[in-house]
Amino acid sequence: MAGRRIVVTSGKGGVGKTTTTANLGAALAKRGLRVVLVDADIGLRNLDLVLGLEKRIVFDLVEVAEGRCQLRQALIKDKRFESLAILPAAQTRDKDAMTESQFEAIVAQAAEQADYVLIDCPAGIEGGFRNAVAGATEAIVVTTPEVSAIRDADRVVGKLNDRRLPMRLIVNRLRPEMVRTGDMLSVEDVCEILAIELLGIVPDDAEVIDTTNRGEPIVLDPTARLAAIYEKIARRLEGEMVPFTSFDAQGFLGRIIGALKAG
Amino acid sequence: MAMHQPVPDEVAAPAAVKLGRAIVITSGKGGVGKTTTTANLGTALAQRGARVALVDADVGLRNLDIVLGLESRVKFHLLDVLEEKAALDEALVRDKHSESLVLLAAAQAREKEEVDTDRMRALIAALRERCDYVLIDCPAGIELGFKNAIAGADEAIVVCTPEVSAVRDVDRVVGLLGNRFKPQLIINRLRPQLVKKGKMLSVEDVNAILRLPLLGVIADEPEIIITTNKGEPLALRRDGETANAYHTIAARVAGEDVPAPAPELRESLMDKLGSFFGGRRA
Repeated sequence: MAGRRIVVTSGKGGVGKTTTTANLGAALAKRGLRVVLVDADIGLRNLDLVLGLEKRIVFDLVEVAEGRCQLRQALIKDKRFESLAILPAAQTRDKDAMTESQFEAIVAQAAEQADYVLIDCPAGIEGGFRNAVAGATEAIVVTTPEVSAIRDADRVVGKLNDRRLPMRLIVNRLRPEMVRTGDMLSVEDVCEILAIELLGIVPDDAEVIDTTNRGEPIVLDPTARLAAIYEKIARRLEGEMVPFTSFDAQGFLGRIIGALKAG
Repeated sequence: MAMHQPVPDEVAAPAAVKLGRAIVITSGKGGVGKTTTTANLGTALAQRGARVALVDADVGLRNLDIVLGLESRVKFHLLDVLEEKAALDEALVRDKHSESLVLLAAAQAREKEEVDTDRMRALIAALRERCDYVLIDCPAGIELGFKNAIAGADEAIVVCTPEVSAVRDVDRVVGLLGNRFKPQLIINRLRPQLVKKGKMLSVEDVNAILRLPLLGVIADEPEIIITTNKGEPLALRRDGETANAYHTIAARVAGEDVPAPAPELRESLMDKLGSFFGGRRA
């Protein structure tokens, strides 16, 4: 049976699509699942950097589409997880170097050999978005609890609805202390506006910047609190009922305790 | 086009019209702070008495109106003007806080492919005739929206966060901008504490790769999220390090010879607690 094909998208840039794709992919691979990550951001690729695989790129997505190499030649095996591979985007080409049907065919082919194909969508709702979505049968919408990100996510939810794609939501970079002081929208607020099913809540964590810069997904660090959170999201994707960690209503002390418990 | 209706003064003395500067704010990567920078720099320039127009070029995913708190006042948008459904003057929204600041909002329910590049160029030219500064808030990415946003501009400010992915994207954008622009750099969301711990790229690290003239450095501040959500740009204030950084950047854009702002390192309470517990904070 072919694997699931899930696009990770947001509308707004910089909300954490690539970080989510890399960490969720790693968390799924850690569970022994076969995962292919596709970087659909042609011209501005970054998934390879986040996974520290940039020096291993030989062929890319566009070269596969143009028939200049086989899909299996372009797939790069992850350094740490045997069952994780990425298909990098082309860096020096434009997004119109590929058509929707080419994209769809490559993703379908990748799904034949994998349990999950996660597609890292570019920001915006232009051609790059349409390509990335064309290959998917499900979507994960990533947003941050900011008015502008939610407005953009809402536009994307509308577009995914038009395509009848089932979708779930990850609220990223939540700062519980700001929610508590009324300076940030809560997860409930965000869910109410977007009205789609919640898949995960990821708190803002400075550690992510560092692990991303080093090309080491945070799920590799068993002591990191976000590792446990991405693992929970992976289990929810697998169909398990996993309760959500409550970040709201945590006082200062609660945060310290939460930090010590790590996860 | 409606925007070219001549005013009598112009006809009498066209040579007297001094054209404003058209600056595109761009980055490649999304979410690095283009819109926040556009709103704050525009506000800071307007506070200096300059006539400023802000143009939201992110058709379909507009946000500049929200950041300025003007979303309920938008009647017409960029595409209405380009398609001659509204005159430019009708579409410009006067800012609530700064008298000499106007906004041209993007269309929310339309697509970037619907923007005609030549008309966009003509629109920016028309704005340059009536303003000292036209700041164009570019969409993320390097597709058509990017191409249209840079079409009418003659200068560029690139915004970059101290992250390898953002630096790589900016590097690509600088290449695409070519020689017509002389891009200047704003490094955004720097966390001095993380730099000190070696967990974030420093200003020098970033600029060792990009090698661009540095306009200034803005610290990562929760205050920015708050002011953005409220629709009141931080640069409306005269106090505080980050507000001052925007005013200094505005002075530098205006040609004043002042040093580029850089955030200072201050130890936070959480840092002290973190070392107290003997480990890193989560």
